[in-house]
Amino acid sequence: MSVAARAFEVERGTAGRLRVAVVSIPGLRSVAALLALEAGQWSEPAGRPGIARLAAQSLLRGTAARDGASWAAALDDLGAVARMDVGGHVAILSGQCLAPDLPAYLALAAEAVLRPALASDQVELVRAETIAAIEEDARNTRGVADRVWRELAYPAGHPFRSRPLGDEAVVRAATVADLREFHSREILGRGGVLVLVGGIRPADALDAAREAFASWPDGAPAAERAVPQAAIATLQRRAEVVPDKTQSDVILGWLGMPRRDPRFVAARVANMVFAADTFASRAGKVVRDKLGLAYYLFSTIAATRGQGAWAVRMGVNPKNVERAIETTVAELRVVLAGDFPQEDLDLAHDKLTGELRVALESPGGIAQMVLEQELFDLGPDHYVRYADQIRAVTKGQVVEIARTFLPADRYALAIAGPPLR
Amino acid sequence: MTMTEIAPRRLADVPAARRLDNGLVLYAAEARHAPVVSVWVWYHVGGRNEVPGTTGMSHFLEHMLFKGTPLHPKGDLDRLLARYGALWNAFTNEDVTCYFETVPKERYPTAIELEADRMRSALIDAGETEAERTVIVSEREGLENDPSFLLGEELVSVAFTRHTYGQGVIGSKEEIQTMPRDGLYAHYRRFYSPSNAYVVLVGDDGAEALLDRAAAAFGPLEAGEPAPAVRAPEPPQHGEKRVVVRRAGGALPLVQLAFKTPRATDPSTPALHALAVALAGSSGGAQEAASGRSSRLYRALVASGLATEVEASAGLNKDPFLFSIEASLRPDGDHRAVEALILEELARIASEPLGEREFARVRKQLLAANAFPSDTVTGRAFRLGQLLSTGAASSIGEWYERLAAVTADDIRTAAAATFDERSRSVGWFTPTA
Repeated sequence: MSVAARAFEVERGTAGRLRVAVVSIPGLRSVAALLALEAGQWSEPAGRPGIARLAAQSLLRGTAARDGASWAAALDDLGAVARMDVGGHVAILSGQCLAPDLPAYLALAAEAVLRPALASDQVELVRAETIAAIEEDARNTRGVADRVWRELAYPAGHPFRSRPLGDEAVVRAATVADLREFHSREILGRGGVLVLVGGIRPADALDAAREAFASWPDGAPAAERAVPQAAIATLQRRAEVVPDKTQSDVILGWLGMPRRDPRFVAARVANMVFAADTFASRAGKVVRDKLGLAYYLFSTIAATRGQGAWAVRMGVNPKNVERAIETTVAELRVVLAGDFPQEDLDLAHDKLTGELRVALESPGGIAQMVLEQELFDLGPDHYVRYADQIRAVTKGQVVEIARTFLPADRYALAIAGPPLR
Repeated sequence: MTMTEIAPRRLADVPAARRLDNGLVLYAAEARHAPVVSVWVWYHVGGRNEVPGTTGMSHFLEHMLFKGTPLHPKGDLDRLLARYGALWNAFTNEDVTCYFETVPKERYPTAIELEADRMRSALIDAGETEAERTVIVSEREGLENDPSFLLGEELVSVAFTRHTYGQGVIGSKEEIQTMPRDGLYAHYRRFYSPSNAYVVLVGDDGAEALLDRAAAAFGPLEAGEPAPAVRAPEPPQHGEKRVVVRRAGGALPLVQLAFKTPRATDPSTPALHALAVALAGSSGGAQEAASGRSSRLYRALVASGLATEVEASAGLNKDPFLFSIEASLRPDGDHRAVEALILEELARIASEPLGEREFARVRKQLLAANAFPSDTVTGRAFRLGQLLSTGAASSIGEWYERLAAVTADDIRTAAAATFDERSRSVGWFTPTA
């Protein structure tokens, strides 16, 4: 049995349309609460990117029982912190409160999710803030690189082609009725997962969750959005100049796989061997540590539904962009050829399993682990098996995964920053 | 409904402490909820210890401490910590340079040994210095892409005319490019010694066991010479200072205000932290954050549609530093109107105490924000070390008590003492086409 599995026990239940998972850690004063609503970009109507974030942000602007200012004051009365982020297939309300305040915090969260006011003045405020953020992103090298990369990697109509912030025209045109419909069909219709970790007794936490979310309305689940398989057929490259910047942001990436794909664990190991960590992976060691070309270089593989991004990101002086890219691709070719030493694989195994243990130091870290397990139905014994699964990944599997998903001649490459020299 | 309380209401962890013969002070506290230990080494050297011509030296040196010792050549430390799955990093600020690693508990003796080794034996190799120089330039260039950094750097430089705080921390690009290797090594020998450092250990072992292990590793090191004192007191400011940055590299106009504040050991410091919460909440003001929206500046600026984000923070520094406010405006925002509204709110909070209900809300946010990070082992170790670095408190528990003792009138008094036109610096960032 893995260390992680021994270190926490998950108690499960349901509350309305939420699957609830609780981990009790006596001695902590707070509770980390992750409420994942299965209403991210994946749930957006075709051609309406930005609706999911607009709706999710508007939930926190007042309810049927109190206006936005009163709801915000009630949250601050608890000293709780909460924020809403929308991603590929979920919108996550991440909160933390003092343990005795958990019932009150969950009651506020439930009010927002189940009975939002979606008042027009508050929606206008969210709309204006979103448009400002889109404009800011248009002059932010990371934001531009991300937008360009998505446009190169995903075909028109794909839910991940736009950033979660959405398209400005869609955000400008969205009506309160659009958001009400999205709330009713996607947020209430699909439900989600609630994870609570911290200084609470599981029975109390489950009771609090049930009491808060008991009035979740019944109804048939919304139909799944059909998303065709995407592919990057040839090398796609685009550089966009962002004026008055000194550094270029680069994204070099491929289309990954759904989290439920049985090859996902091997992909995480392959990712670690290749570029996941600036200091522990091959690409970072060469690009930063040996050649001094970049301050940061890392790669991530999205744990989501469908084909999320498997992408390398780096910040590079414009004069070093080409060399940093060439070096990264050269390191990829080493992985593809299986020319890396066993030591690299051992390091990847050790780092990924060691991180599982270190994540136990934080209620937020445990909550993230449990959320992934619950969201993707990885099974109640997932963390019993997970460390062993990582260690079982062979060099041959790493090479096979890389050859399947990371071809060295077919990727999307986005560069944003000063003119390239 | 009622909850069975299994959470302590406050953290009563006065750390165990031990001073070694070489002057190094060790602090240790147990945290038994996870099988990890967090090891932090704090050096009393940062931007304030630098002179013009070599600004950024402390930060540059921080990078070089990862480049090997005779015992652990370059790559050893990274590889070992990666192998343990460690959470590790380092940072430099105005006052200190700090190295930390949170590791599985059975690995902490190795983490301590790595830190003890590089305290006196870093190579600071000339070739590695050249390779790292471009990395640090890249780090600076990444920061320069952010208008908030650019404006903040300018604002601090005008706020301080004599004190080295005005130089910032990362240093100018030109000085990074010409930083001499021998100068770095001299800086290292001058400031990296047991007598100019302390160690914080928090985690899943007995406090005495943690201290014993650290004492065994650090005890044999030579004490080193006492670090030279910083003698550049900032003279009183006698009027408002203003700075404007115009660049295309940003879409949102910014307004920053900074007021001089006392050093962290001043009795008013907890009230200044409460003041920041009253003005802008405790969670940083990002658009995605729902908390802090009952704060005064949020209501005045963001809820009214003039700004998209607002944040406020009180410094926790060795020498008198700054209380800072930043508002991100709408793309077509009016700097003048936003600045006027901020000043109006500052005058109001300086003239009338918070009402009972508002004060209770601010107090709860303040205490909760202090509790949350302490629920992670890494966060608890950082918080303890941070308080010790500036002398703000000798334990998290003591700091909690000082925050809990702040009254509504303390907040008003702190505001009245701080928000003085004569000690104000104002910065505007104006996007250009």
